[in-house]
Amino acid sequence: MKDFLRKNGILLLIIALLLSILIGVGSAFLGGNADPLSNVANTVTAPVRGAIAAVADWAEGVYAYVFHYGELQEELDSLRKQVAELEDAVRQGQEASRENEQLRSLLDLQEKRRDFVFESAKVTARSTYNWESFLSLSKGSSAGIEVGDCVITETGVLVGVVSQVGYNWSSVSTIINTDTEMGGIVSRTYSAGVLEGDFALMTQGKMKLNYLPEGAQLVSGDEVVTSGKGDVFPSGLVVGQVEGVFTDPSGQSRYAVVAPLAKLDSLIEVFVIKDFTIVE
Amino acid sequence: MTRRDLFHKWFVYSLGLLPIWLLDAYILPRYPLGGISPMLLPLAAAAVAVLEGAYAGTGFGMGVGLLWELTYPGGFGGLVFGMALAGMLMGAVSQYALSQSYPGCLICSAGVLCALDGLRLARGLLVHTAQLPDMLHVAVPEFFYSLAWTPLIWLLFRAIFNKVGGTKLA
Repeated sequence: MKDFLRKNGILLLIIALLLSILIGVGSAFLGGNADPLSNVANTVTAPVRGAIAAVADWAEGVYAYVFHYGELQEELDSLRKQVAELEDAVRQGQEASRENEQLRSLLDLQEKRRDFVFESAKVTARSTYNWESFLSLSKGSSAGIEVGDCVITETGVLVGVVSQVGYNWSSVSTIINTDTEMGGIVSRTYSAGVLEGDFALMTQGKMKLNYLPEGAQLVSGDEVVTSGKGDVFPSGLVVGQVEGVFTDPSGQSRYAVVAPLAKLDSLIEVFVIKDFTIVE
Repeated sequence: MTRRDLFHKWFVYSLGLLPIWLLDAYILPRYPLGGISPMLLPLAAAAVAVLEGAYAGTGFGMGVGLLWELTYPGGFGGLVFGMALAGMLMGAVSQYALSQSYPGCLICSAGVLCALDGLRLARGLLVHTAQLPDMLHVAVPEFFYSLAWTPLIWLLFRAIFNKVGGTKLA
């Protein structure tokens, strides 16, 4: 046995064990900050990720142009028709349009949340596991990104939370990941619950709004936003829409299935909220 | 075999691993099949362990585990040891019980995929992150979809083995 192990790499196995312990201890002590080895590996491979993302995006664009040209043409015709109708509507009610414009600007995210400090970042890689849902971003600690920062789309829809940061890269645990847990509110009824990732729903790209109050009357399509409770995440970030309300297998509480509005599998650019004002 | 030959041999094996890693980490996850993307790195470790035996399998497995831990999100270090151990076992099994052929590689690949998914299922059940049927719904297609890549990975490493494998450079 001793000879077998000596001949078959017991020394290498011991080195592997030590490396495992080193990485494990490093991860545990550094919290969400990447351990030095991971940081170096991901920093070095960041340009590769960027290049692959750029080439794949370009190839998808070419593919869509070549193989979906007819669909694009139809869509363009339909959009042209819509533009013509809209222009007609604009002509018919310029006063209403001006008011509408003002309301739109009021609703605009930057106008609404001047306290947000943003950092834009490219999505360089998507989930590499079927068991978890992650995104890799093109920016990290050098751009001021920290663990726990919220990541949103350009329309203010929540994408996830930064879970690991390196020098020029970061990993985002998306909202459908099983480790997600944050306060959520249904904006129509103000029913509060806990937004949680669920493994079974994650595979369908959805999540749960748990512990709903007994009298909550939710309907399909209700918008769910972050509550901001706990002061960890900003309030009012749009998460998704209610798809249905179900009773827990224990029969003691109800939960809603929420479909995120962010298209997690096709995001190209996102915005990291580096800072925000906590509203007491 | 001189140190230079050894370096040359493992450099070529590392080059062989490069496209598999790029596919596994950055390309295939963009185009999941039925929501599932395959695991290619364990298959690479299996192919090299079957071709080169237990000692080299341990080293290559350790390298694969290190790559997995360092460049993929999450992880706690266990894959370095786990893949090294898997490389050693697969190499030994192919040397002493199976043959250094494609069927041997297929059996070892199935074994390592089963072990990885089995550990994930066990972890999921222990920490109550999910129900068994839900996890099987992911694990089973992942297993078969990953296994479908075995021929390609075997052919790649078989070609490398034919050029620089064993003691050919000596």
